[in-house]
Amino acid sequence: MTNKSKWLGFIFVVPFLVSFLVFWLIPLLYGIWISLHDFRLSVGNNGFIGLKNYVDILTPDTIYNRTFMTSLKNTLMFIVLSVPPLILISLGLALLIEHLPKKLKTFFRTVFFLSYSISVTAVSAIYLWLFGANGGYINNILMKAGLISSPINWTGDQPYAWLVIVIATIWWTIGFNMLLFVNALDEVDGTLYEAADLDGASAWNKFRFITLPEIRNISIFVMITTVIASFNLYGQSLLITRGGPEQSTSSLIMGINTTVFGNNQLGVGSAMALLMGVIMMLITGIQYWISYKSDKDDLAKPSRKERKRLKRAVNAGPTNVNQHPAATIDKKERKIT
Amino acid sequence: MRQKRIKSGILVAVASVLAVLFLFPLVWMVFTSFKTLSESLASASLFPRQWTLENYASIFSASADSNMVQWTINTAIVTLIGTVLVIFVDVLAAYALARLDIPGKKVILGIVVVALTVPGIVTLFPAFYLFKSADLLDTYAPLILPYSAGTLGVFLIYNFLRSFPKELEEAAYLDGASQWQVLTKVIFPSIKPVVTTLGVVTFLAIYNDFLWPSLVTNSDEMKTLTLGVATLVQGSNFVNPAAMMASTVVATVPALIIFLWANKYFVKGVTNSGIK
Repeated sequence: MTNKSKWLGFIFVVPFLVSFLVFWLIPLLYGIWISLHDFRLSVGNNGFIGLKNYVDILTPDTIYNRTFMTSLKNTLMFIVLSVPPLILISLGLALLIEHLPKKLKTFFRTVFFLSYSISVTAVSAIYLWLFGANGGYINNILMKAGLISSPINWTGDQPYAWLVIVIATIWWTIGFNMLLFVNALDEVDGTLYEAADLDGASAWNKFRFITLPEIRNISIFVMITTVIASFNLYGQSLLITRGGPEQSTSSLIMGINTTVFGNNQLGVGSAMALLMGVIMMLITGIQYWISYKSDKDDLAKPSRKERKRLKRAVNAGPTNVNQHPAATIDKKERKIT
Repeated sequence: MRQKRIKSGILVAVASVLAVLFLFPLVWMVFTSFKTLSESLASASLFPRQWTLENYASIFSASADSNMVQWTINTAIVTLIGTVLVIFVDVLAAYALARLDIPGKKVILGIVVVALTVPGIVTLFPAFYLFKSADLLDTYAPLILPYSAGTLGVFLIYNFLRSFPKELEEAAYLDGASQWQVLTKVIFPSIKPVVTTLGVVTFLAIYNDFLWPSLVTNSDEMKTLTLGVATLVQGSNFVNPAAMMASTVVATVPALIIFLWANKYFVKGVTNSGIK
């Protein structure tokens, strides 16, 4: 291709590059710059102060430290409460769908995925009134059934407040994880199960030694995306519990919002947002590292070297290594990348 | 064989119970929106004893403190233009990166991947402040334009195109077609599934976005449905579950219809974005 047509082709990328530059790269760099200044939302820049914003956030018992640490602690609490059910229940749903008669699969998959299309606002409104303290539907039912004598303050008392937020979140987002697992289960080579059946393997052993290793990559992906999504907790706790009771469900994004708009501190807020971003990237990195390490340590699975050898063998020609689980993994990886 | 049938019968029963549990909040939302205020507060039954359209009438009435009609118009403008813009920008870029020999290609691809790993929160507040400085808050610009900076769409279409055979394009070039003609006549028709996927995912993302619109709009007239209903929920006077559910029904139905229509594509899109 000539030089001229090279640059003509470049024109196709220009709209994306402009948009990326203006709405992503410049804000990113500008955010770092703001975090190094005494920057007020109302009056703008009051001058360069170096790392003072970060020092303030990390020095115990300053106002910004309290905001950041409380909301970080709450966000981590939410992650601990929501991530295990979001992974385990979605895997359970996917396994259930996998074993349903073919005709019904699509129907149930759609039902469990349906709520994912709803906005956090609608989800919050629904759960706010299902679990409303006075006149809420759940309290009405429990009182009518004589199970409780006075209404439970679901959204205003702990541990109920977390319970409601976690239930709402599970209902709202679990379909996405389920779908990823359903697709991963579809990809598992059926001949592996047939071979296991001939050996008389139990259902649990089939799950442990065939299904789990086969869906390993997708499981790691689900875990990482779920943790990232849970880090971004905002709408549910803002609208359902308003961060309460006593700030116990106030999330990181809520804390940053308060700092920027409530305290008029865009500089400190930007520093908090960057710290939050760094923490998220660190946790993602640690998850990758642990899963990579456990991959290496897992003796039940062939090592990377072994898999490479198998892959070469598969490429070389038709042999019975195709029956090995690792061989099918590699084939899939090749197809995808 | 009989044992197998019993087993699958049990599984269908379990799935049905779970399906009822999953659908219940939505069904409750719809039925509550047809209850009177007093019944919505006191009832422990799902169905309204006395059906009323009063809630819908009140949120759409001229004297209502909610701007439902304006919010619906805003949402339509923002989601439609936003989605088309994202598709336009991403398809062009992905095509050039996958098929044309352009300068700086490797750098751009690297940026696309790196940007995917950076959490959105770090650009949110500075982007808000830039719009504020440019005096563009409370206009359609910040509600539409920033979505086109996302790199997931470029990544998706780029991956799709890479595994797509080149023969057709080469034939078209031999016939004297230009790059633009190849893109519109050969490439675009064959990447329609992935473009539809991206379209639906983008549409729902813009439609349901809450945090960003809440930063860049001030006035009631500029709100989207999602944001508008959120202000209703936050309003301390909004102690009427029946009216609240009517507003969430109005805000939810369009997205639900799009979702059900494009369910098939959406399922595929999740697969594509999921497997890395």
